[in-house]
Amino acid sequence: MIKINNLTATVNEGQQTILNGLSLEVPAGEVHAIMGPNGAGKSTLSYVLTGKDGYDVTDGSVDYMGANLLAMEPEERAAAGMFLSFQYPLEIPGVPTMHFLRTALNAQRKARGEEPMAAPEFLKKARQVAADLKVKPDMLKRPLNVGFSGGEKKRMEIFQMMMLDPKFIIMDETDSGLDVDALRIVADGVNALRSPERGMLVITHYQRLLDYIVPDRVHVLADGKIVASGDADFAKLLEKEGYDKYAA
Amino acid sequence: MPHNALIDELPHRRMEAWKWTDVRGSLSATSGADTNSGLTTTCTPKFDLPTGLNVSRETLSTPDTPMGKLAANFGGDTYAVTVPLGFNASEKLVISGLNNGHARIVIRIDEGAELHVEEIHESTEAAFVNLDIRFELAKGAKLTRTILHTDHADTTRIATTQINAWADAEINQHTLSFGAGLSRFETRIASLGENLKADIHGAYLLGDKRHCDMTSHIDLGAENARIRQSVKGVVTYKARGVFQGKFHVRRPAQLTDAEMRHDAIMLSDTCEIRSKPGLEIYADDVACAHGNTVGALDESALFYMRQRGIPAKQARALLTQAFVAQSFDGMVDNTDFMSRITEWLEHNS
Repeated sequence: MIKINNLTATVNEGQQTILNGLSLEVPAGEVHAIMGPNGAGKSTLSYVLTGKDGYDVTDGSVDYMGANLLAMEPEERAAAGMFLSFQYPLEIPGVPTMHFLRTALNAQRKARGEEPMAAPEFLKKARQVAADLKVKPDMLKRPLNVGFSGGEKKRMEIFQMMMLDPKFIIMDETDSGLDVDALRIVADGVNALRSPERGMLVITHYQRLLDYIVPDRVHVLADGKIVASGDADFAKLLEKEGYDKYAA
Repeated sequence: MPHNALIDELPHRRMEAWKWTDVRGSLSATSGADTNSGLTTTCTPKFDLPTGLNVSRETLSTPDTPMGKLAANFGGDTYAVTVPLGFNASEKLVISGLNNGHARIVIRIDEGAELHVEEIHESTEAAFVNLDIRFELAKGAKLTRTILHTDHADTTRIATTQINAWADAEINQHTLSFGAGLSRFETRIASLGENLKADIHGAYLLGDKRHCDMTSHIDLGAENARIRQSVKGVVTYKARGVFQGKFHVRRPAQLTDAEMRHDAIMLSDTCEIRSKPGLEIYADDVACAHGNTVGALDESALFYMRQRGIPAKQARALLTQAFVAQSFDGMVDNTDFMSRITEWLEHNS
């Protein structure tokens, strides 16, 4: 589904290399976890894949379902099904959550040549997803993420994810800021989206999240590249042994 | 009086209050052009009055400000509307036709009366417009004032308003300006009795080389005033936005609760914002605050929206609209303002 080959990315006008020849393939239907120490390049990987400004890709390629991902604008990647659950979701003052989400959904549909989703259908789906995720209805009327707690923001990310129905999901530290109950609700939501057509990349510091979202593969990212990989049990080993032996 | 001599009478950049809106300099540069024909012209405003109100002409004394003197000299008699005791119309008083020349208008709202005034400051050809407007609010009078400003790009417009408010008066003012070659909306409020409640909000959205100056001076002379002011600015290309705000809290104006905000977004590297918020406080038991921010759109928020699939232009427009809309939250009906803002953003985001 996504094939990353020798990806190299710099910041500060090339003075600092963050991704350093990273290669990774996530087939459709699989969940891969990326673990690693602070500063390894985990969040940078999520930003480079989604097209955030400020990162220069100096080498490598990313094939996303047959397309050259790196040549696409962020909104084109979103319309092609790529979704990032942000580590720190942004507050958008003055834009009600439902308005934001319906605008986003219909912009994606328009880009794909589909008809916009009518308001009643959208509302019905939103109510159902909100109930599943225990998102309070009044949160949907408020400006997006404004005044939300850290946990509420993370839950709102999953709400958006379920509404937008993406094909490839990147979750960046989705577990941070969540208590155990919220973590279970979020994980149930994510697990419900697991399907043979969908791929996921779960970025996390801790093995805890992977008890709930069991990955097919676990990779260690250190110094800007994948340095070790294994199955779900590998995460438990990493939790026990730490990342020291993988760092340069 | 010849045009050149008249131009010498105009406010200029060496006057502190006019340093960013140089009327003399601007008109000198176009001396003799058709755009200056309004300098000696009388403006004939059009009044659409609620049932029960009339407009008359009165001879009033000449104000002592440069623009006030010109309005008195060339505007003819003052247009006067009096809203009688306890009057409360469901219809608005709409003032239009403010498209060239000088005029003076006075609106008196008697005790306990309420009036909604909608002013349309519009010109479709280059013009010079100078308006001297006064409101007299008796005890418990309530004024809702809506100002829409859409001028030709070469028009010069100076609209100066003095609002004198007696005890328990309420003012709710919203201004939306798309600028002009040079434009200034100056609102001066004097509280002459206690418990003044005033909301003075506005926004300017400026493209091309347009200029808008929103200046206000709130002079508080009595107890327990509550003032809220929020002005939002969006400027792009080579436009220039000016905000000057002053709360003058005199010694008797104890228990004043006043907040002033000006926030502006610059959408280009070549546009300009000048701002001077100020407090002058002589009473010791007051809560007064002012805030002022100028910056670009939040790039992180833009990326967040684009990651969700919203194209860059639409994301910028949505963020900007949400920013400006905050100034018009308190309006009874902001539909017209919001659709005009949306239309402007479609062309300027």
